[in-house]
Amino acid sequence: MYLYLDESSWLHRCHPLVRLVVAFALFVAAFLADRAVWQVPLLVVVALLVGTTGAWRNVVRLRYLFVVVAVMTFAVWSLFYRAVDEPELWRLGPLMVSEASLRFAATMALKLTVFLAAGTVFLSVTRVEEFAFALTSAGLPYRIGFAITLSFRLVPVFLESARKVVEAQRCRGFDFERGGLAERVRRYVPVLVPVFMGALRRTDGLAMALDARGFQLDEDRTSYLHYPVSSTDVEVVLASAAMVVGYVVLSWRGVLTFV
Amino acid sequence: MSGATTKPLAELRGVSFRYPGSVESALDGIDLSLQAGELVLILGESGAGKTTLARCLNRAIPSYQRGDLSGSLWLAGEDRSTASVADLAGVVGLVTQDFDAQLFSTNVLLEVAFGLEQLGVSRDEMKGRVLESLAMVGLEGFDRRDPSTLSGGEKQRLSIAAVVAMHPGLLVFDEPTTDLDPLGKREIFELLGRLRDGGMGVVLIEHEIEASAVADRVVLMREGRIVEDGEPDRVLRNTEWLVELGLPVADLDAIAVAIGYDGRLGSVAEAAQQISRARGPLKRVENDERRPGETLVEVRDVTFAYPDGPTVLHGISLDVRIGEIVALVGPNGSGKTTFSKHLNGLLSPSGGSVHVAGRNLRELDLEDVASVLAYVFQNPDHQIFASSVRDEVRFAVDNLGLEEAEVAERCAEAIAAVGLQGLEDADPFLLGKGHRQRLAVASLLVLRPRLLILDEPTTGLDVGEQREMMTLLSGLREAGAGVLVITHTPWVVAEWSDRCIALESGNVLFDGPTGKFLAAADIMERCDFEPPTATQVGAALGVTVRSVGELIASLAAPSGQ
Repeated sequence: MYLYLDESSWLHRCHPLVRLVVAFALFVAAFLADRAVWQVPLLVVVALLVGTTGAWRNVVRLRYLFVVVAVMTFAVWSLFYRAVDEPELWRLGPLMVSEASLRFAATMALKLTVFLAAGTVFLSVTRVEEFAFALTSAGLPYRIGFAITLSFRLVPVFLESARKVVEAQRCRGFDFERGGLAERVRRYVPVLVPVFMGALRRTDGLAMALDARGFQLDEDRTSYLHYPVSSTDVEVVLASAAMVVGYVVLSWRGVLTFV
Repeated sequence: MSGATTKPLAELRGVSFRYPGSVESALDGIDLSLQAGELVLILGESGAGKTTLARCLNRAIPSYQRGDLSGSLWLAGEDRSTASVADLAGVVGLVTQDFDAQLFSTNVLLEVAFGLEQLGVSRDEMKGRVLESLAMVGLEGFDRRDPSTLSGGEKQRLSIAAVVAMHPGLLVFDEPTTDLDPLGKREIFELLGRLRDGGMGVVLIEHEIEASAVADRVVLMREGRIVEDGEPDRVLRNTEWLVELGLPVADLDAIAVAIGYDGRLGSVAEAAQQISRARGPLKRVENDERRPGETLVEVRDVTFAYPDGPTVLHGISLDVRIGEIVALVGPNGSGKTTFSKHLNGLLSPSGGSVHVAGRNLRELDLEDVASVLAYVFQNPDHQIFASSVRDEVRFAVDNLGLEEAEVAERCAEAIAAVGLQGLEDADPFLLGKGHRQRLAVASLLVLRPRLLILDEPTTGLDVGEQREMMTLLSGLREAGAGVLVITHTPWVVAEWSDRCIALESGNVLFDGPTGKFLAAADIMERCDFEPPTATQVGAALGVTVRSVGELIASLAAPSGQ
């Protein structure tokens, strides 16, 4: 259930911090660009990354997520974006579609797609240990980096435990589909309690296991992971920096501002 | 003992511990010492204080458990009574039964390297120690595997490698084989023997008496005290004492006592030899086969493959009837759990059909099947959520639209059936594992199912609790229900089941009376089932017996009838 792909593409071979920089640069640039046309170059970059790192397989796996996020974002912003002095194309009560709202909705949909794709690429090429390594390389204290990445490790574990609990409760004749929304939420108690209790027990056991293997020691840690900086790393960082600087300049000049 | 002159590797002096809010001490004046190169086996029934003792050895108590602790911990002649758990990392290694909670890395190499990184071992040395530890536990070549994809036995060996790599002098194992199949258990015990031979001190806490084969000393605990500490040959021969302490007795020791043999029998062959010397040929015991009731589940040509996965079941056909206990056996990965989930519709077959009470499962909802066929999962904690035993039990019938009087009657009946009367208002989360397991059964019995399927119902229970569970199931059979038990435990199969279904790689290798299964040595070997020692001794003497009791019975009536 992890997204990580155990391969050796060019990005897999980069220093983990470099991979984090690439993802971060894409996030920043996509965040700054409020015009759909300026999301397109980012989309091209992220598509190249997806294509050359093997991450396309995860994109295929997550295709419904990508489609749902893009379509929902587009639909919601089309209906709710309020442009001043824009002629309306269609109206139903408080819902109104205008040319501006369509443009804005398209921008937001593309922006979220870039976010999602950049995140997918990063998690496809980076083990959670490498993620922690990248965070510590960036100056974060070891234990904090570890704790952040630990949540990534535990998500699949809790999903699996939730699946088992649902199975066990259904075997007691428990029907999740019955009742209205409020009723259904209340009916999830028999699932949430065992999952939550299991999570508590597990984190307790995990804390002890980590501690017993010296997690709390203050010795100088060493790392099994080792990444000598390569020329590719330097090139990739420079390219990422150029992209961010470019977008910052464009943003400063107002080119990226939504009109 | 030679150890008297050298300084002990580890020593607990007068250690007592009381959990907060508890009146009784979990540990009461424990004195225990251990030499390097010594393996000490600690036995005791549930609640005897074994786990508490293990956690005192690496200072997880008091770091992770508040309470009143007194006494001192000495390691290699040094008082470490104030050390933290992390201080003892690399000095004392602790491995518990829950291997999933001990593994947190995304590949095998990184898992083993983790502790070494914390200790600040240089990268070059780390590489060597990682590979050396993996070789030690027999996981060479697993380097890049994701730990979550390993089998239970492999996971547990990986947790051991991760600890061994840190070169601790003392290793503490808290029921490391509880969740493993017989093969996995054997591998762990052999590995512990090797670690001891390599000079480490090993403390092994177990329910399994088999572990005594590698032990240098056996310590028996009761109610927080050490009541016996000595060589296995002496301690384990005292079978009455073991029974009184709620501990299992090895079949060979029970046989030795029964035939009045003075000493310990070392092997099946020796036991058979001593028996025939003492008694001559044995009478053939007739296993009276039960006449089962009507057929409830009909399985026809069931095949199953996970999407994009290999085929797990290859055309299985059989009937499950009421009024019998069926044991479903087979090595890990043989398809036992996958098959059993087809019986109530948790999984749908890729090909073939399953009929329950004459109706095709495809036409029934899982929720409807539940009142005919109950499925009890291995881990009761996956279903327990209510704040009292009564609420937990009534959950399943709450939605049936029954009269309150009927609901109350069904609850009382189910609670009585599992022997939890008097605990109706107890908080399920505070019950012991044995009680929680029985509560899980009660919470399904309340639906008055005609067939119960249980996945490893005796796992993690001590021998007394295991017998209680099986007595409960046999009571349900007498009341007319059918029971299907997935199990690895040889004596559960031999002593309690009427019929045995053995799976191997998704095929039915055997389906017939348990007596016949126990006589089919080749089939048992193919599905990696090692029968109880008493059965093996019987086989060596040409009779099929299910337990020491039956073996003794055939001794009592020599042949010639």
